[in-house]
Amino acid sequence: MVDKVIEIPVSVEIPVGPQHPALHEPVLLKAYADGEVVVKVEVNTGYNHRGIEKLLELNSFYKDIFIVGRVCGICNTVHTNVYVRALEQILGVEPCRRARYLRVLAMELERIHSHMLINAVMAEVIGFDTLFMNIMLDREKVMKAKEILTGGRVMADYMMVGGVRRDLSDGDAERLARIISSLRERLEYYKKVFEEDITIGKRLVNIGVLKRRDAVSHSLLGPVARGSGVRIDARVSDRYDAYDELKPEVVVRDEGDSWARMMVRWDEALISAELSLRVLQSLPRDCNPVPDEKRLPRKLPAGEAYTRVEAPRGELTYFVMSDGGVNPYRVKIRTPSFTNIINSAFLYEGYTIADLPVILASLDPCISCMERALVTDLKTGSRKVIPFTELSRGGGEWGGRGYYLQ
Amino acid sequence: MSLVRSIFQNLIRERGVEGFYISTIVGVDLKDKGVIRLDYFTVLLPEEETIVFRTTIPRENPVIDSIIDIVPGAYSAELEIHDLLGVIFKGNEFLKRGFFVPRDIVESGVYPLRRG
Repeated sequence: MVDKVIEIPVSVEIPVGPQHPALHEPVLLKAYADGEVVVKVEVNTGYNHRGIEKLLELNSFYKDIFIVGRVCGICNTVHTNVYVRALEQILGVEPCRRARYLRVLAMELERIHSHMLINAVMAEVIGFDTLFMNIMLDREKVMKAKEILTGGRVMADYMMVGGVRRDLSDGDAERLARIISSLRERLEYYKKVFEEDITIGKRLVNIGVLKRRDAVSHSLLGPVARGSGVRIDARVSDRYDAYDELKPEVVVRDEGDSWARMMVRWDEALISAELSLRVLQSLPRDCNPVPDEKRLPRKLPAGEAYTRVEAPRGELTYFVMSDGGVNPYRVKIRTPSFTNIINSAFLYEGYTIADLPVILASLDPCISCMERALVTDLKTGSRKVIPFTELSRGGGEWGGRGYYLQ
Repeated sequence: MSLVRSIFQNLIRERGVEGFYISTIVGVDLKDKGVIRLDYFTVLLPEEETIVFRTTIPRENPVIDSIIDIVPGAYSAELEIHDLLGVIFKGNEFLKRGFFVPRDIVESGVYPLRRG
């Protein structure tokens, strides 16, 4: 006599990731699905842990400036900035105004290209490849601007203790202003596309809704938090470098879905363009921003510093501890993706497999590692590797959202 | 109840769940003093001011209560410190070696950020 029936849903285990070798943050999302609905996600890390904190302990304070720049390729300027400011705190060095303005310019250009990149990736993930190509084409303008300013298209190595590594000539400043002005028009156009396009709206609106309470209690940062109504921005609260004079506007939206997070990024990119133009118009001439490195002491005095910066992905913090030697005793780096990706597994639950890449891309995790997925059907035991984009496109054998591309 | 848990519970009582977030936990191995120092960097909202709760635990027996059931944002930091420094966060069932470090390091039983 049967008096109890226990239903066990047929679940499909879908490891998403872990990596593409070109990527600096490979991560595996192990998703469990009941039919189309994701019931649980585990985030597995450690596929490319390079031991950089240990490496920093083994090298001198000044060599470390170049190592921290390689923690992340996309946001290398903010990494070096926050580390260099920690050293300046320990040394008691203050850069002059021109140097601080130039630092802001480099970091804002970086924010624009980072936000354009993830919006382009989002377009690609939902199958809008033309938009991806167009955004990437216009992103080249920022890369050119960054090259004019720092000498490097991607790796800038622009920050140094007490200033920046090279000055900006008046002619180059005019070139930069022209590039940024033409870029601003394109940013406004893309913002309009994301606002009005029906396909983008169908794929992003009400997907991966994050409540304000969850964003705060899970320490989610940057555009992810600001898309859920949390007003945090280290540029405004810490007023480091020239942000005390430039006072950037903080973009906050209340919707909390994937679309809101992408719109926050477009608005921030526009504000960054505005800020860059303001820097170029009001660039102070109080000093030579390139300090003489030979005057810096080889050993740093004993002390500790904790600095924050608003990286494109959110609050990035560095803790630097010196015991009076040539090398740091301890450096602790906490990147925004560290909390945004690892702490956000709850965000996928209740959405479909096709939404998984969309939610992940909306968190800006450096997505290129996620281009393929292994799907295992537990019922038949069959396994099949399919491109990640196919998973998100839907239809066909592996399901998806029926209304897309029909 | 342990001090670290009561601090964060008081913080929630005083300011609410949306009144702060835990930014990071910094673990430092102070070999000379025989302790591991843990700094809980916490950001108060909406003023966005950073405060630090500092505690030390013995190096020989590095055990401290977990706070992830009170503050879920501490999840990633606790897992990382366990993997790199060998601190045991009592009550955190997700702790595992190999969260970050490769398998050969795990098998040799080395905690990379411990001072030699």
